[in-house]
Amino acid sequence: MEVDNEGETEMASLELEDDDDLTLEQVLEMMEVAWLNEKFAPEILPHKREIVELLLGQITYLEERLQQLPSTDFKKGIHQMEIDRLRYLLTSYLRLRLEKIETFHKQILLEEEKRADENEALYLSPKELEFAQEFEQDLEAHLAANMNFCPNWQESTATERIVQPNLNSMVFLKAKKDVEGIAIDDGKAESSDLIDLASGSQVLINYNNVASLVKNGDVHLI
Amino acid sequence: MDPDEVEFWGEKSPIQIVPTFNSPAIYLIGGDVGPFRATIPCRVPLWVALSLKRQQYCKIIPPEWMDVDTLTELRRQEKAASSSFVKMPSEHYMVEAKLLLGGAADDVPRADEVKTIVKDIWDNRMAKLRSSMDSMIRNSSMYAAVDNLTLMEINSVRPILPHALNQLYRMKMVKRGLSQGSATLTHTRTAVSFTGS
Repeated sequence: MEVDNEGETEMASLELEDDDDLTLEQVLEMMEVAWLNEKFAPEILPHKREIVELLLGQITYLEERLQQLPSTDFKKGIHQMEIDRLRYLLTSYLRLRLEKIETFHKQILLEEEKRADENEALYLSPKELEFAQEFEQDLEAHLAANMNFCPNWQESTATERIVQPNLNSMVFLKAKKDVEGIAIDDGKAESSDLIDLASGSQVLINYNNVASLVKNGDVHLI
Repeated sequence: MDPDEVEFWGEKSPIQIVPTFNSPAIYLIGGDVGPFRATIPCRVPLWVALSLKRQQYCKIIPPEWMDVDTLTELRRQEKAASSSFVKMPSEHYMVEAKLLLGGAADDVPRADEVKTIVKDIWDNRMAKLRSSMDSMIRNSSMYAAVDNLTLMEINSVRPILPHALNQLYRMKMVKRGLSQGSATLTHTRTAVSFTGS
């Protein structure tokens, strides 16, 4: 019994946003970049649902096929290791997002509402959205039940308690293509310097200046 | 990022091995490896190489730069360039050196010397990195090119450098707010006192 790349033929035909046919290898690379971005961006980024689901499906598929391999086959160990590496990548990615949702739940929910009103693509997956809403309800219920000893609690409205990510935090990034005219906000004055990035260059910079580039994929965080 | 996670990325680097077995190609998600023919070198990711090595299925051919002469030259260049960083032959030189010298030291010629020189280079670069961090914070600049720094090196100044700069940025914003007399900073918090009362 061979574990082969039959899966690849069905996966390769799967089309992502760009209408490009992607190999699994490219999907994996996209996942790795998504992980790095999510890890270092202060705010939550758009969910890479297609990639996550595709790779999760691939894990299940491979594991089923691995069952059929005799345990003496040395290839089994290699395949198992790759599955473990992949699973680590995916779970770590999802955990990073959940951490952000727990910390910034209110702000994230407000932004998602705004996006829904304007018919923009949501950043959270349906399950994450459900988690965020339940988390918020439970937290509010908990606080309402336990914070009555605090005299000003009732008066302080929920909007005052919103935890916001620091979008001005400094991040390291690597440019994937040439990018021109990034404004540097050094915090001193309104006038700001412009810089150009050559493909492959690495810089330490304020996240706010490059957030849109991270989201459109011209640069990635490291 | 945890250093183990940096290692995780480093383990993806390709490396040459000489297998001691025959096998058709293995189709991995990250790209196919093999086919393996005994004594014929082939390229695999580092994590595959180390796993095979542990089971004594292969010999690892160390990367070209992992050689005493090349490294000595690199060390010289690194010392000569007092204010900049030399481009390393590998984005993950430290991870590769650590893993290969740990798991396949018998395949690296003059492994002890290699280890010493890599450590020298690392120490030299870290010293430079620390002094540039120092001057960056003194000038409170909010942008720095970090070309030629490897992931492990960048990671070693995290979170302290970005964090320090974030605080500086906050202080600057406060100053800007005050000088313009804007009302951005009216949100003041009264300190809570736990003594007396």
